[in-house]
Amino acid sequence: MTGSTRAVLAAMVQEEWRLHSDLFGGRRFAAFPLFVAAVGAGTAWLLARTGTDASAVVGGTHVLAFLLGLQTGTVGFVGREAMRDLLGGLSLVLFSARTLPLSGRRLLALFLLKDAGYYAGLFMLPLSVALLPVIVAATLPLLWLSLTATFLLGLAATVTGIALTTRGRPGRLALLGCGLALGGAFASSLDPLAAVPYALYRDPSIGVAVRVVVPVVVLSVLGIALYDTEHVASARTSTNDYLAWRDRLGTDDAVFLKTLLDVHRSSGGVAKLLVSAGIVLAVGGFLVSLAGRITGVAPLPGIGFGAVLGLTAFSTYNWLTTFDDVDAYFRFPIDPAAVFRAKGRGFLLLGLPIAGACYLAGVLWEGTTLTDAAAGAVLLLGLQSYFFGLTVYLTGFDPNEFLFDVVLFATFTAGVAVALVPVLVVGFVAGELTLRLAGAVGVAGVVLGGVGIGLYRRAVPRWRERFRDA
Amino acid sequence: MDPIVAEGLRREYGPVTALDGLSLSVEAGELFGFLGPNGAGKTTTITILTGQLTPDAGTASVLGVDPVADPVAVRRGVGILPEQESPPSYMTPREYFSFVGTVRDLPDDAVAERTATWADRLGYAEKLDTLCTDLSRGQQQKVMITQAFLHRPELVFIDEPLVNLDPIMQERLKRFLGEYRSAGNTVFLSTHDIDVAEELCTRVGIVTGGELVATRSPADIEPGTSLLDVFLAEVGHRPEDENRGTPGEA
Repeated sequence: MTGSTRAVLAAMVQEEWRLHSDLFGGRRFAAFPLFVAAVGAGTAWLLARTGTDASAVVGGTHVLAFLLGLQTGTVGFVGREAMRDLLGGLSLVLFSARTLPLSGRRLLALFLLKDAGYYAGLFMLPLSVALLPVIVAATLPLLWLSLTATFLLGLAATVTGIALTTRGRPGRLALLGCGLALGGAFASSLDPLAAVPYALYRDPSIGVAVRVVVPVVVLSVLGIALYDTEHVASARTSTNDYLAWRDRLGTDDAVFLKTLLDVHRSSGGVAKLLVSAGIVLAVGGFLVSLAGRITGVAPLPGIGFGAVLGLTAFSTYNWLTTFDDVDAYFRFPIDPAAVFRAKGRGFLLLGLPIAGACYLAGVLWEGTTLTDAAAGAVLLLGLQSYFFGLTVYLTGFDPNEFLFDVVLFATFTAGVAVALVPVLVVGFVAGELTLRLAGAVGVAGVVLGGVGIGLYRRAVPRWRERFRDA
Repeated sequence: MDPIVAEGLRREYGPVTALDGLSLSVEAGELFGFLGPNGAGKTTTITILTGQLTPDAGTASVLGVDPVADPVAVRRGVGILPEQESPPSYMTPREYFSFVGTVRDLPDDAVAERTATWADRLGYAEKLDTLCTDLSRGQQQKVMITQAFLHRPELVFIDEPLVNLDPIMQERLKRFLGEYRSAGNTVFLSTHDIDVAEELCTRVGIVTGGELVATRSPADIEPGTSLLDVFLAEVGHRPEDENRGTPGEA
């Protein structure tokens, strides 16, 4: 490694650390790996206590590592403008090719190398340690290796996918072809678990190691080689949808209309909200089926899905605020209360119907009584309001950032647990739903809804002061 | 009453004192240049005067309104062009101006007419329906200039308005600012560019260390002395400092 390469790599690692610690709670970020290990260990212990198979816990953690890799891979590609939207006035060493004698491709390779080391140490290691309650301690290094390789597989897949999209129509067609071929292979006979790094943990041998690591290396090299560093997307144009939507929706709420345009026009459109909620629905379905097997008591799908799907309030609010530079609103005669109100409207228009649709799908899929379905629906509405209010109160307009602030995250987790655990117990353990119990769940939903509205109202003056004192 | 009056503004960011008792007043019809070195407190002054930030001490009045007590009323009356701020990525300029029109209670036809006028003035009519994220920095700056003047405010706060504009557009904007001021409006111009201040401003205030240390009318500066000389003297710049950073030392 040359001197300049070492210098760039060191600068990138330092930059990543400062970015996280600056954005996500200053020095408290240093405690984040410990927090991950503690929460992960607690969850693993709890799952083990409830009879969940250790291989399911380890497998689930690999899925988590893969998803983190997929997400991390996008960061280096969103470009300066998008970075500015998401994170404010920010420029990364990655973007230095314009000013320094460094090729874009070399910078990208170093960026990925930095991510591999950084995430292996700060995220995958604590995740591996967290699973000690369910694994043999001697397999810890192997688990760390397979989790890191899984993370890198996700990272490399994103890099290669995005690199192909920079190659115009042939690249996009190739990407589609790869996706179809992969889907077809898995649908026919290929065991997906045998082809990913998780296989290395299940069957540690040289042959398996080569089989699962080679794709990671090949994908990474391909991604870097194919990425067109001079690619510029064609300019997008549109007629005045702002006015059209204003007339169609009959509202003069400018921030609300802008929020809808942001969600609609950013990558994935409104579908990204559906995908987020769909993941929560799948988790809910998994928990409902798991609860029945563990406790031997038939779960109450309505209350179970109502409880779990309440959590989509957080992801919806996140999407509604991700594309804003909130300070920009305050150059206009706009009070923070108006911005919160607009986000609330966006939540009512997009978040509640999507959560409701997922709830309906879950309940219809599992099948349940009308009483359970009704109690679950009231609970869903109450929890949506509660989680929305809790998120707004704690995070203002930055729900994304607090995930890495240990104290805030712990507060949020406690707030979620207080509301969620009791109703989950009812949903998964109560067995028979009497009218009295259904009524109690309904009342809990109404109370939680009220608390959510109260939190939202208190959030407005709280954040107004913070913005003006910042 | 003067459109801008500030008395003893003080603001700290942790251990850093951004404003240290700054006082100033700007009369109606002035094009007031606010000059100062980096970190002198220019941006903090603007954010306080426009109600975006609360001062630790001091009072202010903008168009007769206290920006601490009623920040929204202040921002309703003024136009603001921040330094280096982009318009919303996922809106076109035309949509953004409709957004601004809604926020500022402007009728659609007035927005459409003024949009066309400004796009023509700054030469970006063909970009009105392109998403702002796909515009160049210069085009984005033109959009931001337009939004600041769309409601024809009697007072604007503009921070480095000529940045990223080509010389032709710079001249057009300078001409517009002169006409705008001549019509009785007030401009608070924050800039590092001494030449621009000397050319455009009716009066300049020099800020350093969070204090307004001098005000001058360019017309009143003694012959043989430039505004740059006055500026350098007021911010404590010594002639020997000029020997620093010469190419031989790089």
